[in-house]
Amino acid sequence: MFKMLNPRRFYHAVGKKKFLEFILLAVFILFFYEPLLNMLMLAFANEYNVPSVLPKEWGFKWWGYVFGQKSLVSSMIQSFIIAIATTVISMIFCIPAAYSLARFQYPGRKVFMLSFLLTNAFPKLGIYTSIAVLFYKYGLMGTYAGVIIIHMINSMMFMVWLPSSAFRNVHRQQEEAARDAGASPVRTFFKVTLPMAMPGIAVATLYTFLGSMEEAQGTMLVGLARIQTMPVAMYGIVLDSSAIQIGAVFAILLIIPSALLIFVMRKYIGPEAIAGGFKMK
Amino acid sequence: MKNKTKGLLAAYGMVLPAFLVVMLTVAYPIVSAVIQSFQDEDTGAFTTANYTYFFTETAQRNNLLYTLFVVIVTVVIAIVLAYLLALYLRFVKSGISRAIGMLYLLPRFVPTMCAVYAMITIIRDSGLINRIGLLFGLDIKLGLMYHASGIIVMNMWFNIPFATMMIAAGLGAIPDSIIEASRDSGAGRWKTFTSMILPLSMKDVVVASTFVFMSNVGSFTTPYLMGGNSPKMLGIALYDQFNKYLSYNRSAALSVIMFLICSVSAAVYIYTNLKEKDWEK
Repeated sequence: MFKMLNPRRFYHAVGKKKFLEFILLAVFILFFYEPLLNMLMLAFANEYNVPSVLPKEWGFKWWGYVFGQKSLVSSMIQSFIIAIATTVISMIFCIPAAYSLARFQYPGRKVFMLSFLLTNAFPKLGIYTSIAVLFYKYGLMGTYAGVIIIHMINSMMFMVWLPSSAFRNVHRQQEEAARDAGASPVRTFFKVTLPMAMPGIAVATLYTFLGSMEEAQGTMLVGLARIQTMPVAMYGIVLDSSAIQIGAVFAILLIIPSALLIFVMRKYIGPEAIAGGFKMK
Repeated sequence: MKNKTKGLLAAYGMVLPAFLVVMLTVAYPIVSAVIQSFQDEDTGAFTTANYTYFFTETAQRNNLLYTLFVVIVTVVIAIVLAYLLALYLRFVKSGISRAIGMLYLLPRFVPTMCAVYAMITIIRDSGLINRIGLLFGLDIKLGLMYHASGIIVMNMWFNIPFATMMIAAGLGAIPDSIIEASRDSGAGRWKTFTSMILPLSMKDVVVASTFVFMSNVGSFTTPYLMGGNSPKMLGIALYDQFNKYLSYNRSAALSVIMFLICSVSAAVYIYTNLKEKDWEK
């Protein structure tokens, strides 16, 4: 077995093509996953001094520290409330729009479609700052409603484009068949169209929820000090503290919801479903 | 005829709520930002001084050029590497390629702040790479922190998986039969690539480049946590104008400048997307 650790022996054992593939895999893992794994390790490092590669002492010391901060628990609750509300509200607005853009041809369709690209082309901070002026006028600063609107802006493009491309891929004949069998348009939509477009919708929902969970800039600006989501709290804690472990613990806490959601929706996540969100048809 | 009007009404009824939300929360703030950018800070009179400031001040001009440099390098490297990875995933069928095909989708869902933080634990001067080097008696100082190269490395982490996904979706849509036909008619690998695969996937390359470009022009978290003090990325310069110097008119002008930079790539994107082929309709 140890003979395989010698690169030259390994090369001859598996052949040139396999060898190159293994190198690709190694580089890939080192670049994309080693940072995350290192951070996971740091979160459980009580003592981590230069120059040791592995922590001197393992434990939950920094978890205790982070959970000892009063702001943390409330920031987690606020994050979840806002993320769930953002997702539900943008679904209510965007899914019908996506269906309309996918199924009907009418004047102005391309303009509607393009308008959603605006959110991605203009710098977010520029939008936030001028929206803040509006919010002051209508008393939305420092409220849940204000923060949810900000989070919705971020996700509207995906929430319209992704489901729209998913709806387009549902064959019209299948809907017509259901209609011929006597189903009402509403029933056809819920029983035939929606289930088939589910991968696109699921990915869009995932994006919206996670986007809301990680949004910090706009929340800081519009939430004033009253609304503190997890990423906002993380900025505060990370920039104030010298111990790198605190940031690591916080980052892990922030990743957990994504990891859970990805696990639940794993069968929907694929390049075809995601790529649809970036194409305008 | 009556049915058609009903369908049209339904189509507009479904798309308009989302469209109005975008108009109110995105288009209107953008318009008011544009107006503000031409107003004098104190008097509110018409002026172009807010714009000329960013092109005549040395520090601001450097920020602009620095951002363009970072973004263009990011786009070029990310797209080339992503294309190679996508080709590998499409045409090599092996356990390793399947594994990478799963693993590369996840970075897209890791919160930006967590990923940046994780990368910092690796590349900072007392980070993992330095510590491993010390084991072998080497004092490796990468010098990536607070430097353009560090931002570019981080951008690779975010954008290679994204661009690969877009291109992979495009390559996946090319039927094997087309490639086999080209090979059967005597074309070599290179010829098949340049005459069939590349042209067929060009549209996806453009889409991927556009989004990589746009998302990096206004990037905030990465330069905020990893970038140096001077020159700065425009996202940080904008944040400074607004938060530090409280000059709303200049920050509005800078937003518009960034928007115009993005529009160049958005225009290319829209042009490629609107050229709908007849059989795609």
